[in-house]
Amino acid sequence: MPSTNTQETIIAQGVKVEGDFRSDGDVVIDGEVSGTVETEKFLRIGETARIKADVKAKSAVIAGEVQGNVTVHEMLELLATSRVKGDVATARISVAAGAQVNGRLSMDGSANSEEE
Amino acid sequence: MYCYLYDEYIQQNKRYERELLKIENRLTDLGIAGKISRLALFRNAEEMIRDEIQRGVQTVVVLGNDETVRKVIDVVADCEVVLGIIPIGPGNELARMMGIPEGVAACDILSARRIETIDVGTVNGRRFVTGLSVPDFHAELTCEDQFRITSTSRRAALEIRNLADVADPCDGKFEAVIRAAVKTGWGIFGRKVFKESVFPMKSLAIRSDDPISLFVDGEEMTSTRFDIGIEPMFLRVITGKARVF
Repeated sequence: MPSTNTQETIIAQGVKVEGDFRSDGDVVIDGEVSGTVETEKFLRIGETARIKADVKAKSAVIAGEVQGNVTVHEMLELLATSRVKGDVATARISVAAGAQVNGRLSMDGSANSEEE
Repeated sequence: MYCYLYDEYIQQNKRYERELLKIENRLTDLGIAGKISRLALFRNAEEMIRDEIQRGVQTVVVLGNDETVRKVIDVVADCEVVLGIIPIGPGNELARMMGIPEGVAACDILSARRIETIDVGTVNGRRFVTGLSVPDFHAELTCEDQFRITSTSRRAALEIRNLADVADPCDGKFEAVIRAAVKTGWGIFGRKVFKESVFPMKSLAIRSDDPISLFVDGEEMTSTRFDIGIEPMFLRVITGKARVF
């Protein structure tokens, strides 16, 4: 059997993605992305990531910079180094001390109703 | 019915004579001996195999290395026959990943006939099994006509993997792997480390203003445009228990 999950996408430092990026599996971003990012599973945005895109995921952990709206259907975790400039819609959220959010936060189920 | 295809370098090199004799004896013992065809410089391998398939051959066994497999892969995949490998000599990465031991030990694997159907990659219409690489990568990748990938680093390499130690050749996708050199640390204490990006996908286009070199299963191709795709579950191969997928 392969030793890694082949469905996992990794966008590391030194790589730039432009356009509508969509994945069926887990996504890890440490590089640059502009456009839109969408995954049906887990999304991790690392400290070095620079994202100018609307982001949609089932669950997400953000440690880097996001300029765009963030929609998460289940759990969103904002770590101390995260900086979000945009509206956030999620079912559940955890915000660490030091995290920056500049935008509206809605937890009224709109993230899930959008999916339906 | 089996057909055994001997590569040219095996026939020319005397040090393989004894090994070949052992293999032929073992195949006879196992009851899977068949017609032997020999590849040569001016002999068309595809034509030879098509003739054998018309005569009822259902399994084509290659005696050679990755290069030999590359010569026959198009016709074997098109004619829907089973491919077997008896690895002899150096350059047998494909056989290793399929769990086939070198030389006479491969005969027992052939006899067991554990058949797997795997994906086959294509680059500009040319098929490959393991993958391809671009050692000096400074081009743009367009993925499934939806997004573009570029390297922001001066030093980067691209690798496309279908069958590899960490890639599953039965998932209908290949992996595009970009290794980019990124500086970590400050000033004179900084050093370059390679960061690996991985994209599982079904189609990919490489575009470059200047011609770039790409190595497909070890063979070089040069162009400014490459279209890479995957033919899912296209090739039936005999594998061993020690295969990597």
